[in-house]
Amino acid sequence: MNSSYAHDARTGRFNRLVGVLHKDMYRYAAWLCRDPSVAEEVVQEALLRAWKSLDSLREDDAAKQWLMTIVRRENARYFERKRLETVDIDRLTPTQAAMLVEGDDAELNALREAIYRLDEDYREPLVLQVLMGHSTKEIAALMGINPGAVLTRLHRARHKLKAVVDEAEA
Amino acid sequence: MNCNDYKEAIAADPSESFDGGTAHASACESCSDYREEMRALNGKIARALSIGVPELKMPELSPIEADANVVNLPFGRKVRITTPTWLGIAASFVIAAVFASRMLGGGAEYSSLADEVIAHLDYEPQALRVVSTPVSTRMLNNVVRPDVADVGGLGLITYARTCPINGKPVPHLVLQGAKGPITLLLMPDEKIERAVPLLGKGIKGVILPVGNGSIAIIGDRDEALEQYEQQIIDSVRWST
Repeated sequence: MNSSYAHDARTGRFNRLVGVLHKDMYRYAAWLCRDPSVAEEVVQEALLRAWKSLDSLREDDAAKQWLMTIVRRENARYFERKRLETVDIDRLTPTQAAMLVEGDDAELNALREAIYRLDEDYREPLVLQVLMGHSTKEIAALMGINPGAVLTRLHRARHKLKAVVDEAEA
Repeated sequence: MNCNDYKEAIAADPSESFDGGTAHASACESCSDYREEMRALNGKIARALSIGVPELKMPELSPIEADANVVNLPFGRKVRITTPTWLGIAASFVIAAVFASRMLGGGAEYSSLADEVIAHLDYEPQALRVVSTPVSTRMLNNVVRPDVADVGGLGLITYARTCPINGKPVPHLVLQGAKGPITLLLMPDEKIERAVPLLGKGIKGVILPVGNGSIAIIGDRDEALEQYEQQIIDSVRWST
């Protein structure tokens, strides 16, 4: 009986956090691994890991950074476990290709493909900054690099993407 | 900051949160234009990154051993008390409290916050009446200071007293929930690291961490306390 209520209370807290942050978890995973089906598996593993260690999260305000860290680790574990090569961007599976084309906006799809083709070192901080709203400091902590390196990667990433957009507009 | 430095910085951080950026751009038309260009690009990047998300499939969440965190409540039913009975009980409690106070030299010590919360509820059973008369606004305002919480939107509050918890006065409120009275203890100075579930026969509750304080919420076992939790947490001010 006691453990049943503890379980209910824990489940309630977990569902609230995941309900708010699940989209961010999936998008982060998808842009890390560049494969929607793998992203779903990574998120499932991350949810289980988060559930087991929920009590280590002291403040719910810190849940986003905490969950993204778990997603990042699970993504690394997934590729280590499966001994997968990184995505060959010239031989995409249908699900990978589907990730790049959403809607009819050709410029947006071209930009999405350019982001997809970015080196992970550039793509990840961009996703964390633009999509997750992380500060430079938070990105640095998550990626284990210094803030200066984060800023360098971000400005280089945008320069690469700007070139793509400029070319599309020309 | 020169133009090259600015353009590198704005490309890394289009929100321009870095020092000296705004001043430079306001004095340099070229950099100001570049900033707008980067912000427009950033909007496109955000749209490109916002890919569709499949429906959440929640994995099966196996119970975690949490018995160690559960504190049993020593009482187990909501109380319906008539006025004469209540007066008798109140008199008994006054006598008992005076006696206990003398015996204990001024105040008992509890091994945990949960123990103290439970003990306190045991001393105020009259609060757990099913009634429909709201406590007066004056009484409520006297008990809950504006810097502690704004409880106006919580629902029907039928009891409000200032009570000592760990030697500090805290607001003790009772709401009328769907299944019976819901007790709240707003404890801005009682910091806890994680939620502490409470359980008794027919009654359940939780002490939730909120900023540097905590809130105890206890109600009928069948009450959906979760639906009140966020509203109650949002009403307090000490964490904001």
